[in-house]
Amino acid sequence: MPRAEPGMSKPLLPQGAELVAPPTPTRVYVSLAAALAATLLPWADGMLWLAPDFTLMALLYWSIRAPRLAGLGVAFLLGLVTDVAAGVLMGLNALAYCAAVFVILMLRRRLQGFDVPRQALQLAPLLLGKEALVLLAGLMLGLPQADWRWLAAGLAAALLWLPLAWLMDRLTGYTRVAAQGEAGPRVRV
Amino acid sequence: MSPASHAPMFVREMGLPLRFFLYVLLCLFLLALDARYAALSGLRAGLNAVLHPVQMVLAQPWHWLRGAGGFFLTHAEVSAENAELRQREERLRADLLDRQALADENAQLRALLALPPRPGVMAVAGEIQAALPDPFARKVVINRGEAHGLAAGWPVVDAAGLVGQVTRVFPWTAEVTLLTDRGQAAPVQNQRNGLRIIVSGQGYDSLLEVRFLDAHADLKPGDLLYTSGIDGVYPAGIPVAEVVRTEQPRHSPFARALCRPLGGVGQYRHVLVLKPEPVAAPAQPQKSSPRKSPEPRHAPR
Repeated sequence: MPRAEPGMSKPLLPQGAELVAPPTPTRVYVSLAAALAATLLPWADGMLWLAPDFTLMALLYWSIRAPRLAGLGVAFLLGLVTDVAAGVLMGLNALAYCAAVFVILMLRRRLQGFDVPRQALQLAPLLLGKEALVLLAGLMLGLPQADWRWLAAGLAAALLWLPLAWLMDRLTGYTRVAAQGEAGPRVRV
Repeated sequence: MSPASHAPMFVREMGLPLRFFLYVLLCLFLLALDARYAALSGLRAGLNAVLHPVQMVLAQPWHWLRGAGGFFLTHAEVSAENAELRQREERLRADLLDRQALADENAQLRALLALPPRPGVMAVAGEIQAALPDPFARKVVINRGEAHGLAAGWPVVDAAGLVGQVTRVFPWTAEVTLLTDRGQAAPVQNQRNGLRIIVSGQGYDSLLEVRFLDAHADLKPGDLLYTSGIDGVYPAGIPVAEVVRTEQPRHSPFARALCRPLGGVGQYRHVLVLKPEPVAAPAQPQKSSPRKSPEPRHAPR
């Protein structure tokens, strides 16, 4: 059990769930590539504004669980690739991804303690904020207009967090501390 | 980045806020380079060349699905369609004979009047691959690029009318900004009375707009608008839009007209990219020089 004693902030060696199902580089990068492929699919023209950003969701999932494998550098590179695929200004999505991952890394210890639905609630403002940041940054850089319907993609991503995070937990054999039904707050600080 | 999934025992790296600050600076630098100076087109073309095969592979199942749907057409449907296409082809061929005669006559008349010849066009057929997930512009990607001789600035049409303009060219694909994008405009001429106006996109698929129209201009619902060709980008005579409604000025000194695009903007899968190409000059010598080849209307973003 990765139960932290009050005095000891961080164990030197991986323990508990992290030891049973460690986030290996293969798992992290293969799932990130799969998420990127999902965004590169030829989505229907009328549905583009509703398509959630799978890349960002996978990035957030892994920066909560494995911040040393999926951190700011990976976020920056994936953002550049997304920029090229979407044909928007270079660095726009990279900036948004870096900001989102930075917030996640600051709040990581708290987010680890939640089960999937509560985590989705915590992440909803972040997923929505990323879409808003992209639109606002584009407007500030002098693009003529922004389509505000794209904010809906953030909400869709927050809703899709429930099945996708559950699926990722199952695929990688991860057991959440808070999901084990023990009494008392499980938040580690 | 260390491959270990746990924290190292001795931390010797920059703090998280500092790293974030550096990445933000890098992003802002890239944004400024791309927005102001268009200096990253090489990097973008390179990354695009890497992404293109991946996207082709990902889109393949959709092509197969579409092909499977077409396979189960009945014989009667196919033969009926074939008969209709034959009829249409004969009609078009008859029109084309007439057109050839008219073009010859026009060339002779222009030679008599010592006018420069009309620019001709050469077409490259392409297929729309996908719409770009860009919240700021209406763009599609077609499967023709630098390898097929395309260049930025060329007009794109379909069977019914003007669709847009090539704005970025990659090795095997090109990005077409649709006419309905808010940053696009086309100089047009009213077919009924030759009135010259400018039609601009609004960001909606089914609506174009004439923004600054003279309050007494003779424009009625139902008028057909054709490209006038005076900008040197779009060749003259391509159908663009049909006027739907005109609005009298209320809060501004200008009237406004709403139009419906005639080209299947965002509907058709096959398009033609027109290469502007000057026609060979008639036999007798001319004083005025032929038109220069057009340039992009604005620098590609």
